[in-house]
Amino acid sequence: MRFIVRRLLLFVAALFGVSVVVFAALRILPGDVASVMAGLNSPASRVEALREQFGLNRPLVVQYADWAEGLLRGDFGTSILTGRSVTSLIAARASITFPLIVLGLLVAIMIGVPLGVAATLARSDAARTAFHVAGLIGGAIPALWGGLLLILLFARGTGLIGLFPSQGFPLDGWAAPGQAVWSLILPALTVGIIVGASLMRYTRSALGDIAGSGRIDMAMACGMTRAQAVTGVGLRLAMPQLVSVIGLTFAEMITGVMVIENLFALPGIGSGLVTDVGNRDLIAVQSELFMLAAFFLLVGLIVDLLHRALDPRLATAADATEVIA
Amino acid sequence: MSDNNGAHGQSGATTDSSLEGRAKTQKNGPKWWLGAVIGVIVAIAIIVGVNLAKPNAGAQGGNPSTVETGGNAADIVTIGLKLAPTNLDIRNTSGSALDQVLIGNVYEGLVARDGNNQVVPSIAKSWEESKDGLTYTFHLNDNMTFSNGDALTAEDVAWSINQLIKNQYHDADSLSMVKSVAADDDKNTVTITLKTANSNLLWTLTGRPGLVFDKDATYDAKTEAIGSGPYTVAKFVANDSITLKANPRYWGSHKAKTATVVVKYLADDNAAVNALKSGDVQVLAPITENLAEPFTSDSEHYTVKAGDDTDKYVMAFNSKGKNTSDKRVRQAIRYAINHEELIASRGGADKALGGPIPSLDPGYEDLTGLYPHDEAKAKALMQEAGYSTDKPLKLTLTYANIYGTELGDQLRSQLAKIGIDLKVNVVEFSTWLQDVYTNKDYDISLVDHNESHDFYQWADPTYYYNYDNKEVQRLYAQAIAATSDDQRDELLAKAAKIVSEDAPADWLFNYRVTTAWANGVSGFPVNLNQTLLPLYNVTYTK
Amino acid sequence: MIVLRSMWRRSEGKFALVVLGLWLFVALVSLFWTPQPLLATDGYHVWAKPSAAHWLGTDGTGADVLSWLMAGSRTNLLIVVLTVLFAGAFGLLLVAAMVARKSALAGASVVVIDALISIPTVLLALILAVPLGASITVIVVACGFGYGLNLARVARPAALLAARSSYVESALAAGASGWWTFVRHIVPNTLPVLLVQLSLSAGTAVLAESGLTYLGIGVPSGVPSWGHSLATSVKFINVYPLTVLWPGLIVTIVVVALNVFGDVLRDAADPLSNPELRRS
Repeated sequence: MRFIVRRLLLFVAALFGVSVVVFAALRILPGDVASVMAGLNSPASRVEALREQFGLNRPLVVQYADWAEGLLRGDFGTSILTGRSVTSLIAARASITFPLIVLGLLVAIMIGVPLGVAATLARSDAARTAFHVAGLIGGAIPALWGGLLLILLFARGTGLIGLFPSQGFPLDGWAAPGQAVWSLILPALTVGIIVGASLMRYTRSALGDIAGSGRIDMAMACGMTRAQAVTGVGLRLAMPQLVSVIGLTFAEMITGVMVIENLFALPGIGSGLVTDVGNRDLIAVQSELFMLAAFFLLVGLIVDLLHRALDPRLATAADATEVIA
Repeated sequence: MSDNNGAHGQSGATTDSSLEGRAKTQKNGPKWWLGAVIGVIVAIAIIVGVNLAKPNAGAQGGNPSTVETGGNAADIVTIGLKLAPTNLDIRNTSGSALDQVLIGNVYEGLVARDGNNQVVPSIAKSWEESKDGLTYTFHLNDNMTFSNGDALTAEDVAWSINQLIKNQYHDADSLSMVKSVAADDDKNTVTITLKTANSNLLWTLTGRPGLVFDKDATYDAKTEAIGSGPYTVAKFVANDSITLKANPRYWGSHKAKTATVVVKYLADDNAAVNALKSGDVQVLAPITENLAEPFTSDSEHYTVKAGDDTDKYVMAFNSKGKNTSDKRVRQAIRYAINHEELIASRGGADKALGGPIPSLDPGYEDLTGLYPHDEAKAKALMQEAGYSTDKPLKLTLTYANIYGTELGDQLRSQLAKIGIDLKVNVVEFSTWLQDVYTNKDYDISLVDHNESHDFYQWADPTYYYNYDNKEVQRLYAQAIAATSDDQRDELLAKAAKIVSEDAPADWLFNYRVTTAWANGVSGFPVNLNQTLLPLYNVTYTK
Repeated sequence: MIVLRSMWRRSEGKFALVVLGLWLFVALVSLFWTPQPLLATDGYHVWAKPSAAHWLGTDGTGADVLSWLMAGSRTNLLIVVLTVLFAGAFGLLLVAAMVARKSALAGASVVVIDALISIPTVLLALILAVPLGASITVIVVACGFGYGLNLARVARPAALLAARSSYVESALAAGASGWWTFVRHIVPNTLPVLLVQLSLSAGTAVLAESGLTYLGIGVPSGVPSWGHSLATSVKFINVYPLTVLWPGLIVTIVVVALNVFGDVLRDAADPLSNPELRRS
């Protein structure tokens, strides 16, 4: 209980810290949204008028207080440039990014866990080496390059075997679910293969540790075959560790996802953020960065709590810090 | 994961759940594997199946959203453009992306311009100019309506222009010479009175300052648009797409030939090319010349054409800069740049430009002979200024990342030969605006000035060029006050030549926009289509 | 030396050493010589196919792809070294905090690390890039920070074990300062974990460079790097797919080598698993 409370308090403190850092970082920027809106060939008076109109002339503390107070109410502000509420902006983009992440994760689990198990089960040296090398290479491919190779292989229009659309999201969005999913396949495969490779390595090493501890042998002594022991007992025991890894992978995936969104021209959170930074749409960028950071802090929180729930040994320990020691 | 679920599904059946779990996994072990394998096989089967089905779909037209009936024109044409507007507020937000998609399609101006940059009738069917050039009377068309059903009257026209001036909307300063705008509803005329004669007035009114808005309508201008043009905005997704639907209440002769035009913004060049190849879009404007090769070589299915434009890639030398105030340095740079090579590397569609006025603007004259590529001369000038390859002059080139890194690398390479160590600083456009445009804190800047009739930049010493030449200012003032076009053109040409000789900038080239479309598309404008893109004539027949 | 020799004896180790050695070599050579000068552009021969003059063809400015890749290895080496140093120093500092005898500091740092570790590197890079613009600093600081956190987390158990061992107790009892004990007794105990983590970080830094540079917040334009070569050729993949092959291939091979290097190094440097070390 003490652990949970402390973890939650920390979560809140971290949110506050992130909000200050994000706000401060964005104010050091050269350039402002008013001059972007006014564009070339506008007199300085016009830029000044726009700045006044958007309240960009107020003291920073007032601007921060205004923004933070909005955050507390769940109001992320209005994008100065697009005139839409940042919440709806993020919602629209998230409706592409999250399915992409989830699909990518599914692909990763479908590839990583079975291959990890297979690698543990493999008897011949050749097979072991093959799995090992595959895992190494898969994890070492730059997301950008992996995506490009898939485009060259499978993209409609350019690929050797033209299967999937490689550019953009259908105009109707999720109103055309078939097309929408279809357009996410190549991006999800790119993300999934790369993450899958590292997941495979983790699965293998987790299973290896468990096998080393003699639990697999014990299960086999109870009459299971090796395969049964590994998939049944081993995987179950490795679960807490894998959940942790997947949770952290989730956070790291966003790097790949940003690149992939840009490459496949998907108007998701990643590509949107890059555009907004370019346009100096401060309100939008700071809220987006804050939301993302908050999201990952939340994932971290959930993983920690889940890890504890899944591993009964941790729950009995008085303090989490005692366990590892 | 899945074995866990399997175990859970049955766990109520026996009391000894751990035994049960083991029993389950014993049976599930191999099956779990089988499941994965079957899953993969099914996935492959689906993929192959869909792939086999594809050719049929292709035979029917490739694009599922294109409804076709026996060779007739399609209901939907999808067009790929590059720069997306961030919102629809054409009165407040800068950027040619808005002019491109809205003017002539959704909003109409008092007057319009054609593909050769000449003024033609629009809301006004004709006009007269008084002898002294101070009074313009516009005769409007009859029975005009906005897309919401409101009548478009002389009142709306006068209100729109007056609002622009009063609220200082975008481009308002280009109407600073206007004294009054008055409507006469009975005669259906609008009269504009000027403080001083201005030979640019009509042309100015073809752009944003002349747009006519509905006085009585209230709507969120950032996400909606109500105008009198042949199209209405049915859907707008910021940075992504705009769906235009034919305006059923359209009053004039530019009636939309295609019911729905979808404009898709493809910032990524590859995305754009792929979209055209796969049939997701039927037209692509612009297409990077270097990427057009697959289409130019496939003339059976595609047409590729470059159009004239007023885009000037202006590499400005800060005339008051520490080193660039030295005319010899500026001239040396102009001699050092190999324009022909720059153009060749970009695919060869662009045109050399020797001065500030492009061929579609009044006062154009071929000035490319003033500073031909001459490395020896450039070196000599640098020597005179005290620099050589051994003792290079350090300069910084600042430009926005939207123009790509290649130009900077090439310029650095070309200038290194004459003893200039060019540091290339590629920044966000907003940073460029702040540092170069607003603060004038730069050595060399590069930007695509795509505006037309923009010679005033050289006559304004406060503009970021820091260029101050009294003779040029005098000539420009005369040109603006001129009452005949010939007189104006002559004065402008004279001023342009002086500017070019002074070398306050180098005009790398006149960017010509290359457009590619699938055969069957017709009526798509090729000239000036990055600022002016009337779509009413566009059709697609396969 | 013994460590290197025993690494060389394994085929994986051989691969890693050869690749990394080649990398160092090319980076050094590129300081003095590249097949074509980096600045030589040729607008008439852009995107040329491989030829005798340009072994890997030319890019969009007509510059030699091979030369840029060679010079790029220098930048990537710099980024990797700086990132590893940063991550190592930052990570050890955190480890020191976590095994500190003040339990408040130790407890707090554990929890703070747990919270911060969930912030992705790219997010940090984006925030940093806002004031700094595209620069190598952004990559180094963002990656170093993230990897340092990771390192601290992974190295903590070993450090804690050592911190509670009798020899540390006796060192402290003998009057050794806390820092001295940390450096002398605790750090060496975390060395195997440290080495593996740092070489993994090195690999990830190479990957991050290519991603961040593509997003426009990594290596600035005009500076050769593998990410730069990859990002510029991406634009023309439809017409000139070949150019995109090389930088991606190099990155993949180097990252594999760095990962393998870590594994092999751990085995070779650990007296428990390498009998040769015990002999000497």
